[in-house]
Amino acid sequence: MTEASRVSKYLYTFIVLFVIWLFLTASLDPQELLIGAIFSAIVALLTYDIFTTRGLANLHPRRVAYFIAYIPYFLWAMILANLDVAYRVLHPKRPINPGIVECRTELKNNVGKLALANSITLTPGTITLDVDGDKYFIHWIDVKDASVEGASENITKPFEKFLKVIFE
Amino acid sequence: MLKRALAIVVILIIGYWLAQGLSQVPFGQDKMLVGKYYLEHVKEQTGAVNAVTAVVVNYRGFDTLGEVTVLFIASTGVGALLWRKKRKRTAKTEGSVVLTTGSKLLFPFIMLFGMYIFIHGHLTPGGGFPGGATIATAFLLMYMAFTIYEIPHKGFEVTEGFAGMGYVVVGLIGLAIGGYFLFDWIWQTWHLGTSNIGRLFSGGFIPVIYTIIGIKVGTELSGIIDNMLKEEVKE
Repeated sequence: MTEASRVSKYLYTFIVLFVIWLFLTASLDPQELLIGAIFSAIVALLTYDIFTTRGLANLHPRRVAYFIAYIPYFLWAMILANLDVAYRVLHPKRPINPGIVECRTELKNNVGKLALANSITLTPGTITLDVDGDKYFIHWIDVKDASVEGASENITKPFEKFLKVIFE
Repeated sequence: MLKRALAIVVILIIGYWLAQGLSQVPFGQDKMLVGKYYLEHVKEQTGAVNAVTAVVVNYRGFDTLGEVTVLFIASTGVGALLWRKKRKRTAKTEGSVVLTTGSKLLFPFIMLFGMYIFIHGHLTPGGGFPGGATIATAFLLMYMAFTIYEIPHKGFEVTEGFAGMGYVVVGLIGLAIGGYFLFDWIWQTWHLGTSNIGRLFSGGFIPVIYTIIGIKVGTELSGIIDNMLKEEVKE
């Protein structure tokens, strides 16, 4: 992964911030748009270097399409996760088998790792404890497979197929 | 034990005494004297929809100038108390990749949101102080996530000074045009934005002053954080 040019990074940061501004103000009043553009330009100038490493390449249509597809997929996994935990809480026998397992990821990009860690934490009975290189240490409420490969197959693989396209 | 019992008795007496005093004030009844005047005249006199910011910046601008001064003195005081020749961050533990990447991603959003708060001071709740504090939070986040992060001092101190001066200059222009300090010249002399109350470009000099205050508070609190997080290093 090569680092994008400064102009590309700046433009990407500006576009993202301006879209956030549009959501914040929820109006297309030309006065709001003007101030929003000015403020986004200032903040982008101050922060583009730490905000992104790949710049405009993030807006590749394939990535955007996968990102939009990822949102319902992730939300569905989250709903199932919460129902599963509710079941475990309400079940009289309390069917839990907790433990800490190690997983491997194929993601190289830091933002991708962040997205994966957060997705893991928000879905079925798994919490990311630490990320170290390509190793994930995960607290699992119901350990089905303690080996590294098995755990990765269960926990990280379902998200990786999306996140690999979005962030790699 | 005796000390604690005595303290409880004294606090109970004070509490009873305060409750006696407050029991005479009827709750939820119209007791406005000056407040009514503000609410009825705030729109045509200042152009602000948010009456609180109009009172704070426009009707009672001196208080806000005093508050800004208090904050400046606090920042200078912390700087003076903790002044050493050689100071460095001594934290050892770098955060995990989740923390550092997350902070990097959030930093611009928090800054933009801080600016959103202070520019809309005359329309929505908030204003310069919350906006500035939000911006300082962004820098606090960077300080907490990275062991080596430092704000650009030169730029920050100069910006802080210019922002403070800007407030006084706006007041002095009012003195020159309208005859008293902090006279709202943008609204009352230029009539800028009188036709579109409730939109962004209205509210007289409230957005201008709140932009200045936001920048000043943001840089000032960041400076205080910076001062407090550094420790002296031995040669």
